[in-house]
Amino acid sequence: MLELLYAVLVGPVKDMAGAPAFLAEVIIGGLAAGLMYSLVALGFVLIYKASGVFNFAQGVMVLFAALTLVGLMERGAPLALALLATMAVMGALAFAIERVVLRPLVNQEQIILFMATIGLNFFLEGFGELVWGSNVKRLDVGIPDSSFMVLGVQVNRLELTAAITAAVLVAVMAVFFQRTRIGRALRAVADDHEAALSIGIPLNTIWIVVWSAAGLVAIVAGIMWGAKSGVQFSLSLIALKALPVLILGGFTSVPGAIVGGLIIGVGEKIAEVYWGPLVGGAIENWFAYVLALAFLLVRPQGLFGERIIERV
Amino acid sequence: MIYREAGQFKSSYASDQAVFPIRQDRIVVGLAVAAAVIAVPLVADEYWLQAVLIPFLIYSLAALGLNLLTGYAGQVSLGTGGFMAVGAYSAFKITSAFPRLSVLVAFLLAGLVTALVGLVFGLPSLRIKGFYLAVATLAAQFFLLWLFNKVAWFTDYASSGTITAPPRTVASVMVTGPAATAPVRYLTALAFVAVFAMIAKNLVRGRVGRSWMAIRDRDIAAEIIGVRPLRTKLLAFAISSFFCGVAGAEYVFLYLGSAETLAFDINVSFLVLFMVIIGGLGSILGSFLGAAFIVMVPIFLTNVPHLLGLAMPVALQKQIELMVFGGLIILFLIVEPHGLARLWQVSKEKLRLWPFPY
Amino acid sequence: MREPTSPPPVASSTPLLEVDEVSVRFGAIQALDRVSLDIVRGEIVAIIGPNGAGKTTLLNVISGFYHPTAGQIRFEGRDRTNLRPYDVAALGVARTFQNVALFKGMSVLDNIMTGRLLKMRGSFLLEALYWGPAMRQELAHRASVERIIDFLEIEAIRKAGAGTLPYGLQKRVELARALAAEPKLLLLDEPMAGMNVEEKEDMCRFILGVNDEFGTTIALIEHDMSVVMDISDRVVALDYGRKIADGRPDEVRADQGVIDAYLGVSHA
Repeated sequence: MLELLYAVLVGPVKDMAGAPAFLAEVIIGGLAAGLMYSLVALGFVLIYKASGVFNFAQGVMVLFAALTLVGLMERGAPLALALLATMAVMGALAFAIERVVLRPLVNQEQIILFMATIGLNFFLEGFGELVWGSNVKRLDVGIPDSSFMVLGVQVNRLELTAAITAAVLVAVMAVFFQRTRIGRALRAVADDHEAALSIGIPLNTIWIVVWSAAGLVAIVAGIMWGAKSGVQFSLSLIALKALPVLILGGFTSVPGAIVGGLIIGVGEKIAEVYWGPLVGGAIENWFAYVLALAFLLVRPQGLFGERIIERV
Repeated sequence: MIYREAGQFKSSYASDQAVFPIRQDRIVVGLAVAAAVIAVPLVADEYWLQAVLIPFLIYSLAALGLNLLTGYAGQVSLGTGGFMAVGAYSAFKITSAFPRLSVLVAFLLAGLVTALVGLVFGLPSLRIKGFYLAVATLAAQFFLLWLFNKVAWFTDYASSGTITAPPRTVASVMVTGPAATAPVRYLTALAFVAVFAMIAKNLVRGRVGRSWMAIRDRDIAAEIIGVRPLRTKLLAFAISSFFCGVAGAEYVFLYLGSAETLAFDINVSFLVLFMVIIGGLGSILGSFLGAAFIVMVPIFLTNVPHLLGLAMPVALQKQIELMVFGGLIILFLIVEPHGLARLWQVSKEKLRLWPFPY
Repeated sequence: MREPTSPPPVASSTPLLEVDEVSVRFGAIQALDRVSLDIVRGEIVAIIGPNGAGKTTLLNVISGFYHPTAGQIRFEGRDRTNLRPYDVAALGVARTFQNVALFKGMSVLDNIMTGRLLKMRGSFLLEALYWGPAMRQELAHRASVERIIDFLEIEAIRKAGAGTLPYGLQKRVELARALAAEPKLLLLDEPMAGMNVEEKEDMCRFILGVNDEFGTTIALIEHDMSVVMDISDRVVALDYGRKIADGRPDEVRADQGVIDAYLGVSHA
């Protein structure tokens, strides 16, 4: 019994303390993975904050963006042109989604909208595979996937670029929501569709704007993921991983998505590396969800989310 | 004209509260049951039984379970696959540990184990609501499957990592295992789902069902009226998990023959959720309709192009399947959020008036 | 484990409900400030006051939905301050809500039957089979609910979906649901809001009928002064979370503080 406690509580900590450089690398690896999650979660937050819809299809949108980009580049388009074309495609997708899915479901309960986006997820999965084929593709954006040493610790160029891009995105989004008129309108829409409509906010336009922006975030995320591990269909499962991120960070908080993602990323990696061997590995499959669950029990609105006040 | 209920007066509350108060309904249901029990096993061929009817019955049971939890009690769950896995693996362990125990009892015990597991994973539902709860159930889904994968004890240390249904008889008829014939397995699944559907119907039209729906519709007002939220939600999780556990056991023992955790992954959870949404949330009949629909779509997609003389590669079929499922979910949520069951009700209403337009 | 269901009889001079120096605070907002009032068995008390005075908060605190930050609430002489809402309901307190909290997914009949949930002792197994005692109990409850349906004259809509009804009927169904619990104390939150003259007359008739026939004590929040004057035995006025008047209807109507509150004289 004592041995068990020792193995679970003390052993891993000693391992961590014994090799700090390795620990640092694990943490950095976790941060990088977490950042990837954050990028996807950002798309969720954007849509949720602005239209009150929890877009389960965000993961598949990331995939779709990456697929389109790669597909165009494979057919000989230069990066810049392919990027522009992809943005146009994502914009068109946003338009279509607004028309076909969101408009008819205006002011339905959240759970209905959520389930509609699950349907959307499956539809786009099938459609993407239909159009672009199902084999893994390489995505080359001109940033080498190599590392250099900083203070005795390995840092990967690609991951660094992703980190910087994410930071820029977050800053832009924060400013957008807080400081601009459109940002305020978006927050109003997220709060109450009908009320927003009644004061003249053009709901449809707003939704197209928002979903296009989410599409943009999806492109960035798709590029980062695709460059790192190739464009393949497991990307759509990322949506599922983003859920614990959102729970930790709160559904409506941009900084929360980043912090949540980093915590999940680091937590997962550390759990897998130091505790994984004790139970046969693959803890990563469920660790994030259990962590989120534990969090929900203590703080149902997440780290940065708004307190849910029930009224009668 | 045929479907008029004029002249059928209810002179007691008992007859008003009957499950099929209209005489025509009773006749139709009676005929359907007779057909299902007698005609089908005689007439249907191996393919229909094995590929369509048996999985339909098993999925109906799982959909019924999920509908009780999500449709009636309003607790969204994405963990159905995990709970079915609990049922399957428990049934396996029970039958291998107690070879002389009737396999039917083993199923029920497996259901009980799943109910207990469901209770545990339902505990967070007091503090967490809506799709936050869905995420919690995802934790159940991933954790349970990981557990069955990693801990070899669950598969009796089989090197292949699969569980296999042992041959078992009921009243000297082979019910599970390679020698069990399709009609026998079909009747077993039919018996289970019929009994469970009756139980579910009785529960939802009484005290338990009303407390569930009260929590679903307005949980705060329900609490103020006297409904105890935790108790009500836990009961929903327990009963729903029981149903899903038995369905999981049947999935391996009566349908697949042997399985590994992949058979219960997140896609199963989504599939059953689709059945419930398309069939109709909060409807017993809906669970069956949804299951039938989802089972039929791939069959349809396999066979129709063939009939039309086109050849459809398997990959393309899978893609179209995904698109059809996704598209239909959206379509139903827009057009008829109450699913096929409501469409059925509406057509019955029209039938009442037929041949008059109104 | 459940509390004992019947406490020893209390002297009839003890008020049914005593609200004793109750304060409720939400962050920086003082929703109720040392409010005290007694409700005597069998009376009809009207709670009036401008919007935001704390009337609904008072009902919520009595229901157990909020817990007071200070003060005590006694029901039949016993301290009930920190009970959960379902325990308060078990004591015999039923209520309706300002925004009609009907269960939209159920029929009218089922909605009213939920009001009887506390009276249903179920054997789960028998219910699953809908057999014997379970079925008899269900039918007995159906019979008593039907009596209420007759009383409130809503027979024609009993199978209708609660969400499909017009507003006035929804309020009546909500009243039926509250009555189904056979409460000792009935709390009504603006039962006549949004009704026309005829509907209000009907509601007044029902409320008085409930008080007469079943002896139910009633506390209602109401804005329509003529209704208040007509049916209440006593009136309590709140303003900014404080009680500013408590007495017979004609006394309270003439009270200067109440008049000031409604006319919006600025407070120093």
